[in-house]
Amino acid sequence: MVACAVENNIPAVPENASDRKGITWIRVYKINNGEAWPDCRTAFVPVLCQQCGHDTPCAHVCPQQAVDVDPKTGIVGQMPERCLGCRYCMAACPYHARYFNWWDPQWPPGMEKTLNPGAAPRMRGVVEKCNFCLGRLHAAEERAAAAGRREIDPADYLPACVDACPTGAIQFGDLNDPASAPAEDANRPESFRLLEKLGTDPKIYYRSKRDWVRRIASAPRPAGNEDRRG
Amino acid sequence: MLPWNYGFEWNTAHVTFLGAFYAVLAIVATTVVRTLLRTRRDLRTHRAESIRWQSDFHDLPPADRVCRHVLTGEIQRRECPNAFDCRACETHARLIAQHPVAVEPQAEDETLGMPFPLDRYYHRGHAWVHPEPDGSLTIGLDELGWRLAGAPDAIGLPKPGAAIHVNGPAFHLHRGRADVRVLSPVDGEVIGTGSREQGWLLRVKPAATGERAFRHLLRGAEIRPWLVREMERLQLVLTPAGAAPTLADGGVPMPDITAGYADTDWDDVCGEMFLCP
Amino acid sequence: MDKEFIARGVERCGAGRFLLWILPWTAMLFFGLYAAGLCLVKGLNQTNMDNRFAFGLWIFLDLTVIAFGAGAFFTGFLLYILKVHELRAVINSAVVIGLVCYSGAVAVLMVDVGQPLRAWFTFWYPNVHSMLTEVTFCITCYLTVLAIEYLPIVLKNRKLREIPRFLVFEHELHKLIYVLAGVGTFLSFFHQGSLGGLYGVLRGRPFAFREGLFIWPSTFFLFILSAAAVGPSFILLTTWLVEKLSQKRLVRRNVFQILARVSGLLLAVYTLAKSIDTLVWINRTSPESGFPAAEYYSWKPFGTWILIAEIVVFGLIPALILLTPRLRARTAWLVPAAAMACAGVALNRFVMTVQTLALPTLSFDPFLSYFPSWQEIGTFLAVVAYGVLVYSFSFRYFKLFPEERELRIEARQAELESELVER
Repeated sequence: MVACAVENNIPAVPENASDRKGITWIRVYKINNGEAWPDCRTAFVPVLCQQCGHDTPCAHVCPQQAVDVDPKTGIVGQMPERCLGCRYCMAACPYHARYFNWWDPQWPPGMEKTLNPGAAPRMRGVVEKCNFCLGRLHAAEERAAAAGRREIDPADYLPACVDACPTGAIQFGDLNDPASAPAEDANRPESFRLLEKLGTDPKIYYRSKRDWVRRIASAPRPAGNEDRRG
Repeated sequence: MLPWNYGFEWNTAHVTFLGAFYAVLAIVATTVVRTLLRTRRDLRTHRAESIRWQSDFHDLPPADRVCRHVLTGEIQRRECPNAFDCRACETHARLIAQHPVAVEPQAEDETLGMPFPLDRYYHRGHAWVHPEPDGSLTIGLDELGWRLAGAPDAIGLPKPGAAIHVNGPAFHLHRGRADVRVLSPVDGEVIGTGSREQGWLLRVKPAATGERAFRHLLRGAEIRPWLVREMERLQLVLTPAGAAPTLADGGVPMPDITAGYADTDWDDVCGEMFLCP
Repeated sequence: MDKEFIARGVERCGAGRFLLWILPWTAMLFFGLYAAGLCLVKGLNQTNMDNRFAFGLWIFLDLTVIAFGAGAFFTGFLLYILKVHELRAVINSAVVIGLVCYSGAVAVLMVDVGQPLRAWFTFWYPNVHSMLTEVTFCITCYLTVLAIEYLPIVLKNRKLREIPRFLVFEHELHKLIYVLAGVGTFLSFFHQGSLGGLYGVLRGRPFAFREGLFIWPSTFFLFILSAAAVGPSFILLTTWLVEKLSQKRLVRRNVFQILARVSGLLLAVYTLAKSIDTLVWINRTSPESGFPAAEYYSWKPFGTWILIAEIVVFGLIPALILLTPRLRARTAWLVPAAAMACAGVALNRFVMTVQTLALPTLSFDPFLSYFPSWQEIGTFLAVVAYGVLVYSFSFRYFKLFPEERELRIEARQAELESELVER
């Protein structure tokens, strides 16, 4: 989450602001299997923009076409300069992966020196979300062009979160290339996607051998004795 | 929005959507432009006055719009479809062919205690017109009209040379900040102005002569039933809510009617009686 | 003092008393403008909306107010296209209400979006697949049509119509009013529907998502029906309220009966359609998205009571009351029934906006709650105040109720006759 914020110049919100007003392009959830000790188990689920493929909900609903689905990479790009801030896309996204700039971006004095020149900061009143670190993709494309190649070297382009993860829990690659690791892993029986039945065709696959993780991740909270008010 | 803009394609969705939008815009714009053009045409052909009367007539309560033949009892119920311009009315032509109303040039007659000479024609807006021997017409305000006007601060008369039209404004009565226009009974050109003391207000060269020019005006035996109705209307407008009727039968209206009633407003009463909604 | 601006034949209170009436509303307006100004200047962080509750009080109220304003187009349709002449008595009032509702909604929308100055982007780069584009286009066009329909009402003011240009323009415009009524009906059909479509297409929110006909989810048609149903009820309610506040008879009783009958009929049809739609949604649409419908109603405070309230208590019951001649003939039944119909539609809009966002989709998300901040409430109050002020001025200086004068005369006539009988 921190690597993402650093890479993409995500501003912090005022101290007393609600957590729900903060911008976290990637957000790690902690889930557990509901059992008591010693059988309780925990898992961490990072949720980011799922880069939906079929009938991308946010692209479909944006009134000014500020959401662009790149046919080649499949990345759902957001154009902050076009965004009106109507937040319809935020209502449409079932993964809550879109975030609104409730404030003008501000950094503590001196911190602006740490900003990444490869990513444009967004103004107040527009929506933003994970774009798989497009700045890094462009940098990789420039390097490839400088070396006279048309296609980038897949290993040359990694989003910040993938780069930063110390356990290697996040993998990144070309789903269309059957030889790549993510494409292989996506086809395993223990792989699943979030909210599959909604038909959004997301490109983020999660893999777990544990049933309870799969159960929690795929549908509304399974029936239990938990308090129904979150 | 437009073909050269980002994201535009010639597909069904775009064509339908933008087609509908532009169609709606076109319809609304056309309507507004048509209206403006017609307005300009109307103003140029000096139809504003007749439009004003049409609009006024339309705003009168239905009870004030009854046909003159209802007043005389010939028809049970009928609302005037011609804004009191009987000159072109077929029903009126048919009825007067069956029962012509004579104008007898006698001496003054009193109707309901007020002098209403029968040698002249009366307009439902309380103006009268009297054909003079030299071919001109004199126009004045009838007795009920004067008693309603009471003591106006000023009477606004048109200048000689001005044109007046049937059911257009003939002259104005001013009292305080209120202003009530009295409708003209005839078409013509003003050639002289008079005063209350002289007994007439305007001398007019008529635009048309003959029986048809006065067909829309009341005369003779029509006067009495019309005045009875007028007194009923007056009673309604004078009585404030919750009060008892104040014009007893047989009573004669005072010279300045509204002055005698504390709760009534000169402008309201005169507006109602002079057909000024 | 301002008597020459007030029509003849009708009574209006003195200028001083009128000033006393508008003073608190003006104060409310200024307070609301300050609240809205804060949101515009400091940003939407002034509200209690957040990344999970992207829509809040304003969107809910926009939808409700636009549904209420549907009375304008529907009365126009009934009067100018279907020739129900009795409704001439309320059409002017309906147009003013419509204008106030739509202009208020658009004003709030301008505060609601993050970048209001970019509003023209929707027109320049429209996404014709998005329901919101459709809404934007239609509402803008319709607001224009309403403004043009309001013009004759203004120009018929006693003093203004003395100017020949205004008089003639009003006269000519009125001859073509049926064109505007037709266009207004067409536009209203689409934007009321698209407002429903906004939520019906949200595949990512199975609570709101519905199947439908072609590109239009069932909520498209349900919203049109409910708006058409609530429009006459709202007109009825406001007319009754104005009669009460001004202590005058403004329309004949049969006008109320006509409005009630139309509203009741449409409300009954809507309730039936909504029930069928709900059953389809519970049994097919929602489970296919992986969300059994019972799940939604397990979250407090939104239990199944809200569904029953929306469809039965505030839907079926007022429909039945409005359709029963004996009941609707009595004001004690008529007015509450109309109010309940309006409440039912408001509840429906609430459920589609607020409840949709409150319910979690991801299973490790909690149920979310939201309460508007004072700035949001203030902005809404500004719209209410604006509406009351525009209506008050229109009621005082324009002829909103053509039958008022006749009714006054008839009342006097009846009094006189009863006095004579007593003697």
